[in-house]
Amino acid sequence: MGSNQHYVIIGNGVAGNEAAYFLRQRDPESRITIITAGRLLFYSRYELPRLFHESCDWRDFLVNPVEYYVNNRINVRRNSFVTHVDAQRRTLSLAHKEDITYSQLLVASGGASYLPAELDEFAPLLNGFNLYSAACKVRDILPKQGKVVMLGGDVLGLDLARNLIREGYQVILVTSEHTFWPHRVDSAERTLFLGTLREMGVEVIEDVRIEQIEQGAPGMSARHILFDNGRELFADVVMPFFGLLPAADFMMGSGVDFERGLLVSTNLRTTDQNIWAAGDVCQIWSPEENQYRFYYGWKNVKKMGEIAARNMTGDDIHWETATDQKLFIDKHKQLVSPYWEHD
Amino acid sequence: MKETDIQLMFCGSAGDGTIAVGDIFKRAMARAGYKVIAFDIYPPEIRGFGKCISRVRVTSRQAYSLKHASDVLVSLNDSYAIPHVSEVRDFGSVIYDNAPITSMAEGEHISGHLLPGQLPYGLRMREISDQTTGGSKSKNIVALGYLAGLFGISREPFHLIIKDKFKTKDQSISESNLLAFDTAYTEGASTFRLDFIEWGAPERQEIGGKVQMMTGNAAVVRGCLDAGIDCFFGYPITPATSIMERLATELPRRGGRLLQTEDEISAIAATIGAGYTGVRAATATSGPGLALMVEMLGLGVIAEVPSVIFCSQRGGPSTGMPTKTEQSDLHLAVYGGAGDAQRIVLAPTNVEGAYRCAGKAFEMAEKYQTPVIVLLDLYLSNRYETVVLPRQNPFEADSSKHRSNVERGVPYQRFALTEDNISPRTVPGEEGGVHVITGLEHNELGRPNDQSEMHNRMSEKRHKKLLAALDHPGITIHKRFGDTGQVDVGILGWGSTIGEILEAMLMAQAEGIRCSVMKVVMLSPLPNEPIRAFFSDCREVLIPELNYEGQFANLVAAAVPKPFTRLNRVPGVPMQVADILEQIRCLAERTKSSSAA
Repeated sequence: MGSNQHYVIIGNGVAGNEAAYFLRQRDPESRITIITAGRLLFYSRYELPRLFHESCDWRDFLVNPVEYYVNNRINVRRNSFVTHVDAQRRTLSLAHKEDITYSQLLVASGGASYLPAELDEFAPLLNGFNLYSAACKVRDILPKQGKVVMLGGDVLGLDLARNLIREGYQVILVTSEHTFWPHRVDSAERTLFLGTLREMGVEVIEDVRIEQIEQGAPGMSARHILFDNGRELFADVVMPFFGLLPAADFMMGSGVDFERGLLVSTNLRTTDQNIWAAGDVCQIWSPEENQYRFYYGWKNVKKMGEIAARNMTGDDIHWETATDQKLFIDKHKQLVSPYWEHD
Repeated sequence: MKETDIQLMFCGSAGDGTIAVGDIFKRAMARAGYKVIAFDIYPPEIRGFGKCISRVRVTSRQAYSLKHASDVLVSLNDSYAIPHVSEVRDFGSVIYDNAPITSMAEGEHISGHLLPGQLPYGLRMREISDQTTGGSKSKNIVALGYLAGLFGISREPFHLIIKDKFKTKDQSISESNLLAFDTAYTEGASTFRLDFIEWGAPERQEIGGKVQMMTGNAAVVRGCLDAGIDCFFGYPITPATSIMERLATELPRRGGRLLQTEDEISAIAATIGAGYTGVRAATATSGPGLALMVEMLGLGVIAEVPSVIFCSQRGGPSTGMPTKTEQSDLHLAVYGGAGDAQRIVLAPTNVEGAYRCAGKAFEMAEKYQTPVIVLLDLYLSNRYETVVLPRQNPFEADSSKHRSNVERGVPYQRFALTEDNISPRTVPGEEGGVHVITGLEHNELGRPNDQSEMHNRMSEKRHKKLLAALDHPGITIHKRFGDTGQVDVGILGWGSTIGEILEAMLMAQAEGIRCSVMKVVMLSPLPNEPIRAFFSDCREVLIPELNYEGQFANLVAAAVPKPFTRLNRVPGVPMQVADILEQIRCLAERTKSSSAA
């Protein structure tokens, strides 16, 4: 690989930044561009719950200091939205009508929060926690010891729940089939884990369907939730946690095979010679299971970034999962997901 | 109270309304009660769409100069703004159009050039302008509205200024621009802010005058008018033209006269001619114009005729850099011309100083019967500042005060050798005041006389009479700032560079360096004694100025036989505070080393 290479990475998360690091190590003279829709440099979303217990701003969440990008000549194009990838011309288009050519492209655009269709109409009344700005908003509107209703309850939500309880907030979990996502749990495990959550202080509501979410009356709690069994709840914040969907709409029409995510072989190459994928956006071929599957969590995703970068620069390394994917209860009777581990 | 110190930079092409939006912004901020310093850079070409930059520093307390790094860059044209991205500080903001109408090649959009520490704010500038005004011309107003909304600045002062800006146009234009502003304001207000730019309230304090925002040239005009100028003769030249343009509007309203002459030679000739008749007259030019005027200036000196010449310096020589600033006409102003033609030269250091020097120049010209040159430069001429002008007119309005009655029965000696070297002056038409006036050396009656003794005495008279100007009341001839008594580093400066020098001094003091600044406003005759005293107080002296060889330093070297360090720059733009600060640090270090040795 020579110095005339332009590596373009779509996505500014763990996989993209790990790849950028290894690309720079292995091809010092190349151009490296990270494209992201966000306005910030790479920060740790896992750390965002810190907003509830200490005075900090986004600079405290940066994984790398500003100088890192200057010193490593990694150009991070923020607030830039990819609309289309032309694999034949090795060009991608940005929403502001600028075309960028690449030698090799890594798609590491991650996942976007999934919201079931029946909740779509209530979206303006729901708060996310996937971005710094969204997390700040929750912090700002949530009163001390306020009440949070979590819908779904994927592991990202459960991570937040345990932090909120630690800080004295009330958390109510309304379960769904996505509770504990992406862990696969059987019914016995589900009962056990829900019990542990209750012991941790989470109020758990099962087997209900949401009929209505409304703005609370003036002077009352901000949100009012009605269930199909007639029960109603008042809360300060309602947050959906139904797992992630691969965020790669811009790859439609690129000619690259796409199922639920971008399909990649075990060396993380897509069906196009010059396009690779890593992180939550891709489904990796599993010879053992004879199917494509997703792998989640900081450690897995980070490893994917490294493998992609190595293979983009001439190696032929194959994927092996880095994390035990089992949810478990530790000796302190706390529910623990390996997906919560991060650097 | 939270303090405000924010600098914005609007960058675009001449057709984008860049200077206009900067103007609205600074006027709105001044109206809101903030202190403002602003400076616009525009292209030298009269036609075309060159680069325009408007920099505005908004503070709650008075600042002395623009900052090197801006807090916010607003790009109205990416190709012009991209080279200036590095002038935005870390964690500062860049606002740009993220929905342009045309496709672009890689690297042509500003988002690809932002430094990692800078924060991007994309805005649908053109789209919002199209939706609200039916065209893209109000992109600048959209950017302004977004900016105001983003930082939570009250929209009221903006509304007032926008209405005022469009008051001569159809009402629908004003209304659509207000709609564009408000639409973008809402978008800005709903944008999640990531920067750390804080707008505090303006500092309200009782002051003894009226707060206004104006440029150096506007202040010159105000000074001229308050001093009772009767006539102005000029020929247009950048960056002095706006003096004539403003006077062309104002002077006739007050019964004065303004004539655009065929060239600079005619302008100075008419000015001296008018001064000879006893009225207050002035002209304004730049270096190339002053070069043409110096022969006639000699006439003014030898004939002892009051006249005022405003010279706004620009990059030279010759046509040079008409839209860039420089301080390189000092030698020309002080020495230019044939013979020993000493005259008074004043160099204001800020906008308020431009007002005072302009008004006082007329008094001095009359009192000391000489041409007075007021040296500005492009940076000061075009720079906006909020200033407090006195409620009471500080200038002598009576132009006849320094004239004398003719003594009956004795021949009138227009150039009589007196104790204070100032002769009785009459104006044409005064009974008994008939005299000869010429460019030839003369005797006391004004009749030609080239005898060596007479030339000696007249030369001495013409020089010595000016020394009294060093004590002229109501004007700062020189002033010291900063630490008093003995200091490690003294910085001696003149003209518009004083602002940067003062900022550097404050930074150096904050670093623990004992330092002091002396500004010199009167450059001819030079206040030698105070400068020598300043040298005695300073272990090291630095003289920063915007010319290649150090023209002021040359004057000082002739007056003070002591070593000093020159800092000469000719970048065409104001001197960098960091540059001066670096030199101060070096000199402070040197004093430590010499102490240790």
